[in-house]
Amino acid sequence: MSWVGKIEGLHRTPRSFLPMKSFQSLKLIAGVGVEEDRHSTGEAFHSDRPEEGRQITLFETETLEALLRDNGVKLSMEDHRRNVTTRNTPLNHLVGKRFKVGNALLQGMRLSTPCNHIEQITGLDIFYLLMNRAGLNCKIIVGGEIFVNDRIELE
Amino acid sequence: MRKIIHRVTTEIKEIILDNDIKTLILTDPDNWPLPPFSAGSHIDVYLPSGKIRQYSLCGDPDISNEYIISVKGEKEGRGGSQEVHELRKGDILPVSLPRNNFPLMPAQNYLFIAGGIGVTPFLSMIPVLERSNSQWELHICASNKNNIPCSRLLKSYMEDERVHWHFSEEGNRISIPQVINEVSLGQQLYCCGPEKMLMEFENLNSEISERVHIEHFGFNKPIDDPAYEIYLKRSDKTILVPRGETMLNALWNADIEVPASCEGGVCLECKTRYLEGVPAHRDLTMKIADRDNYLTPCVSGCSSSRLVLDI
Repeated sequence: MSWVGKIEGLHRTPRSFLPMKSFQSLKLIAGVGVEEDRHSTGEAFHSDRPEEGRQITLFETETLEALLRDNGVKLSMEDHRRNVTTRNTPLNHLVGKRFKVGNALLQGMRLSTPCNHIEQITGLDIFYLLMNRAGLNCKIIVGGEIFVNDRIELE
Repeated sequence: MRKIIHRVTTEIKEIILDNDIKTLILTDPDNWPLPPFSAGSHIDVYLPSGKIRQYSLCGDPDISNEYIISVKGEKEGRGGSQEVHELRKGDILPVSLPRNNFPLMPAQNYLFIAGGIGVTPFLSMIPVLERSNSQWELHICASNKNNIPCSRLLKSYMEDERVHWHFSEEGNRISIPQVINEVSLGQQLYCCGPEKMLMEFENLNSEISERVHIEHFGFNKPIDDPAYEIYLKRSDKTILVPRGETMLNALWNADIEVPASCEGGVCLECKTRYLEGVPAHRDLTMKIADRDNYLTPCVSGCSSSRLVLDI
């Protein structure tokens, strides 16, 4: 399968429940997470159940488009609460794979699962709509600064 | 178990004391925007003692970086308001996500009736209606002119002709039947105040009753079920839920980890699958179809001799 993806949006928030803010770049720290993001500081909702795969999280922009097209649900890049919104990147195929995001290198650990938490925050009935397309949890193998429009490709 | 990461973390940025009412201005410790809310919303406040209390948000919903709550000190209350009055500027105060059981329904014209501190939800509604050029009137009931609730928050409306004052000690007590008689076609009527006032509205036998909205914090009622038994099938453990105890507390006391947030049957964070028995559900938000398989241990009781949970 040949593909080259790109970063559509970058987001972080310092604590659980708070709105995500958009940034033009994020600093990735290998083995830790996204600088100043709640998953790297132990301030995330799931920080009492730490796992490497939550160092950085990704979500497909095509899912946002499909939710609007097929279900009339308007979910924005701020709403899905993942750090990186991708385009043309088959996230579900990247579990166990290493791939480059800009200058950084990530490893897909597991598919993200939808949870009640996102319904609580957004007020949208989207739990079942996000089944099998809730994004990808990754660990950061090589850190660095990544930017909106950076390329995403297999190592 | 109940960690601050499972709440919205706020810091008390400012305290305004206004007679026996304390107004807290809450912000994120780094002044990050807080989760948004709509007019009429409330939050659960998690007090240092473990008490949870619900308070209406009385700030403008368009101001994204602060929550404002006003709390009247109730000497005869259950202790929550007294504890709020002991909080200090700079204290960290965990709260829930805002929820709205008292939303503004679409209309051109609104009539608000506030009994004392019950004015708070209307303080979040008025800025929204002003921006949309909707018509509104507010009746405020208090004992006397020196006891106006939230007078500093109401400052800009003191002379507003849309605000009507009713001071019982001055012989100007509100007449609910008269107010009802004057409700115009298409006007939505909102009431928040003491239980007696709410009951008067609830008992309305009037054609406008479907346009009447009442703010209740009903999910805070005490649980008074007789003792019952729950069997945790996967853990192979039996737990007794004592009389007057919530199932959630009984599980926590037995060191069973169950995530929970609102503890009022609203957020469904503690939603748990049950396999046998008949629960008394009591939650306010679960889909009816889900009740065949799930209960909410924070408020659900037991209508059979025991329940079997899938944990």
